[in-house]
Amino acid sequence: MRFDIFYEEFITKAGYKMLLEGLKNTAIIAVFALLIGLVIGSVIVLVKISPFNNWLFKILKVIGDIYVALFRGTPIVVQLLLTHYVLFPLMDINLEPVVEGVITFGMNSGAYISEIMRGGILSIDKGQMEAGRSVGLSYMQTMMKIVLPQAIKNILPTLGNEFIALIKETSVVSFITVIDIYKAFQSIANSTYEYIVPYLMLALVYLVLVIIITMLIKLLEKRLRASDKR
Amino acid sequence: MIEIKGIYKNFGKLQVLKGVSCNIEKGEKVVIVGPSGSGKSTMLRCMNLLEIPTYGEVWLEGKILTPVDPYLHKDIITKSKTFKQLAEKERSENSGLTDEEISSKIIAEIKKNDLLKKYEGREFAKAVKELYKSNYIKTNLARRKMGMVFQHFNLFNNLTILDNLTLAPVKLKIKTKEQAEEKAMQLLKRIGLEDKAKEYPSKLSGGQKQRVAIVRALAMEPDVMLFDEPTSALDPEMVGEVLSLMKELAEEGMTMVVVTHEMGFAREVASRVLFMDGGIIKEENNPKEFFTAPKDERLKEFLSKIL
Repeated sequence: MRFDIFYEEFITKAGYKMLLEGLKNTAIIAVFALLIGLVIGSVIVLVKISPFNNWLFKILKVIGDIYVALFRGTPIVVQLLLTHYVLFPLMDINLEPVVEGVITFGMNSGAYISEIMRGGILSIDKGQMEAGRSVGLSYMQTMMKIVLPQAIKNILPTLGNEFIALIKETSVVSFITVIDIYKAFQSIANSTYEYIVPYLMLALVYLVLVIIITMLIKLLEKRLRASDKR
Repeated sequence: MIEIKGIYKNFGKLQVLKGVSCNIEKGEKVVIVGPSGSGKSTMLRCMNLLEIPTYGEVWLEGKILTPVDPYLHKDIITKSKTFKQLAEKERSENSGLTDEEISSKIIAEIKKNDLLKKYEGREFAKAVKELYKSNYIKTNLARRKMGMVFQHFNLFNNLTILDNLTLAPVKLKIKTKEQAEEKAMQLLKRIGLEDKAKEYPSKLSGGQKQRVAIVRALAMEPDVMLFDEPTSALDPEMVGEVLSLMKELAEEGMTMVVVTHEMGFAREVASRVLFMDGGIIKEENNPKEFFTAPKDERLKEFLSKIL
């Protein structure tokens, strides 16, 4: 274990700049992927649990099922490789690798979030929907005003976990040439042939990141719970 | 005011309602009693379409809420292909019968054997569509006129008591926020809970919740109130406060349909009592006759057990 080699590479030769770049990319991908995932997840879940049974919704429900099956059925690395090397080149789309990462992770987490939200909505007593309908509100109005707000409060801890999982999973974006935290430490290790310290540091950075986020989520939960003083 | 005609309701293979018809006039207080599983709650829930009847029609103030059920309309059946074919056959075989006799015989046969199919020709489809188009009311509009009170209260847990009362009137643009809040505070004052306006439902007792649920329905100014076992989930000491609020409503002339096990309430308040068993209405009468001189055997047994 040679700290001096790591120190020289990291501070003197400005290896930390790469780490900052990596942190930035990880943050961008995780945050935007979560936002995209929330939107996609909401759409899928609303289609899936909707009581409408006309042909349009039947088709949409099948599409939703296929979507979820595809994104849950393949590893995220494979999805990244397919987007970067197959899908986008074929469609002649030329994007920054980070943006490709955001899109892929977003679509992937949409599949998971839709299942999380489905559980959350089903956990709400169906009397809430019936009460809303009985005073003349439409399905959508009751969903938006009564059921979803309660469901989201219930799934917040699970959504937090999803965000933490996203942060950690971003460690594979280097497969499509994005510089992330992993890449930053790997390049130090590769250029010095000293692996122990960089990889210990890598683990430490992820750990600290996740601990900070966990604390933030707990804070947010506490504030939401405070609003209804149960 | 509410008329249900020939309602059947199947849940999968289980048939809960087996042909129920009932007409509720303005100002009536109809109490529905019966053993559990007899279909009384299902019938009530069919009235505001929380359950969609498998067959049959629901009418509210002369407007139809369900699709047209052709079996209930002679003039529509006679326009079907099936009827015409059968009539042709019947006429050639039994020339002795009059047209009138033939048609009533065939209609009986069609109803008995469920012979009408989806496609029965253009004339038939047109008759069904015309009847529906000239009489229908959208479910959401109809529900505004029918207040519903549930066994488990079903207050909106994420809203304050005040918001529980104002959400629908404001969201449906029936009232402005100020109007709705004024009305809501009046209603809360009436049940003595105006100081709870800013609290969430989890802070209330069962009896308080149910009284709030009743005034939430009243906030929509409905023409009729439906009560689905409103006191069954309450502690015994809280039953009284809910029943007395319901009695007040009855005295004010509200049209009410109440599914309940409270026989005292039925005796005191009802203008008519229905006894349901096995998915049909076995007996209906004014409360005096109903309790003192029941005719149906099953009803006698039921009353002897609970009184």
